Amino acid sequence: MSVIWIVIILSAIGLVSGILIFIVNKVLPREPESLKRAEQVAQYLPGYNCGACGYPGCFAYAQAAAEDKDIITKNPCATVLQDESMLSGIEEALGLEIDTSQMNKKAVVHCYGVTVPLGDYEGIKTCDAANSLVGGFKRCSYGCLGFGDCAVVCPQDAITIDEVRNVAVVDPDKCTGCGLCINQCSKGIIELVPADSNIVFRCSYESLKDIPGRERCDEGCLHCRKCFKACEHDAIIWNREKGIPEFDFSKCIMCGECIEACPHNRLIELKNVVPHKPALKK
Amino acid sequence: MNNLFSIFIAMAIVNNMVLAKFLGLCPFFGVSKKLSNAISMGIAVTFVMLLASVSTTVIYNYLLVPFHVEFMRIVLYILVIASLVQIVELTIRRTNIILYNALGIYLPLITTNCAVLGIALINSQESYNVLQSTISSLGAGVGFSLVLIIMSGIRETLDLGESPESMKGLPIAFITAALLAMAFMGFSGMV
Repeated sequence: MSVIWIVIILSAIGLVSGILIFIVNKVLPREPESLKRAEQVAQYLPGYNCGACGYPGCFAYAQAAAEDKDIITKNPCATVLQDESMLSGIEEALGLEIDTSQMNKKAVVHCYGVTVPLGDYEGIKTCDAANSLVGGFKRCSYGCLGFGDCAVVCPQDAITIDEVRNVAVVDPDKCTGCGLCINQCSKGIIELVPADSNIVFRCSYESLKDIPGRERCDEGCLHCRKCFKACEHDAIIWNREKGIPEFDFSKCIMCGECIEACPHNRLIELKNVVPHKPALKK
Repeated sequence: MNNLFSIFIAMAIVNNMVLAKFLGLCPFFGVSKKLSNAISMGIAVTFVMLLASVSTTVIYNYLLVPFHVEFMRIVLYILVIASLVQIVELTIRRTNIILYNALGIYLPLITTNCAVLGIALINSQESYNVLQSTISSLGAGVGFSLVLIIMSGIRETLDLGESPESMKGLPIAFITAALLAMAFMGFSGMV
């Protein structure tokens, strides 16, 4: 007889549970439409929760994007911009077209490395710790310290440390331009530039009291302004306070004139091109 | 009254779910990395334990015992607990999306938490009535949260210190848990 009771009790409890869930589902307020859209958007987000977009995690970003579609273009997620399938998924979920031509960025390190150390550094092996002791252990106080604080935070593993030159090197193919490394760099020598730009200024040394960069670093900027004078498109702005060139990438046409003008063969670098022989000459 | 108090202490400390009965180890190791997560997980588990043991005791005492089908309790309890967690999840999702996101993956984890099933089975094994099982599940939940909070405090401190490379993360956590369990053995025989 107990078999019958088992069947009856099991089905009864199953039925009651089902009905209970049904009732709870009916009684509770519907979830807002934006939440459903946020979930659709969140499917196409990378899920790193890195916070580089300015929101505490991918779902918070998706919620913000579901309520205000402009968020996608105002605070773009760097990983999404690199991935066609993610981007098209979000476009579909939000029903808009995203123009990515101006949005792709990559990180560059404004240092070529090689500066001589002042002595042996025996402390904690992080840039932050080394920097807090009289600004590091290198002759150039602006240069990359090479402990790779930036490499640790990079979600794409795009940053490696060049052992010979002792400098962080960004792999432009892997870098999504999220900008996490910028906040991490204690020297502040990492910058985001448009992903299609090939010109990189490899020095941060500010010209103070007429000490040229060469006294500190064999590869340092001479502050001679030849690149500034060579640029016919006003794409180089001479920073008077720091005495170093700054690029306005909206005006730069990558002609390579500045590279040719630079007397120092690595100061302004064109990716994949031998310095002094720019392939993109107009 | 005295009896209820001793049930509470017995479940919370002496027969602690994690350290004495070794139930619910997956959330114990999974969620004890951060104190804030540990607290919300502890509260959530205690709540579900309370709901589950009250409903399962009612089913056991008034349905299974009269019809002599006590041996079916595991299947029934799984059914009841799974639907309870569904209801709790739905309620939190519809009423407080922020809490829902904060709990995240841990909410479904409670369904598969053997500590919840464990407390329901212990209650029926001891033939507790509804009030007694409420107190015992409350004790089990408090004990679970207590251990989770102690463990997350230790692990947060461990992260700051230097442990050997091969011991970092879970290995050192397992050793810590073993030491904690040995410490809790000191309570045995108290109640």
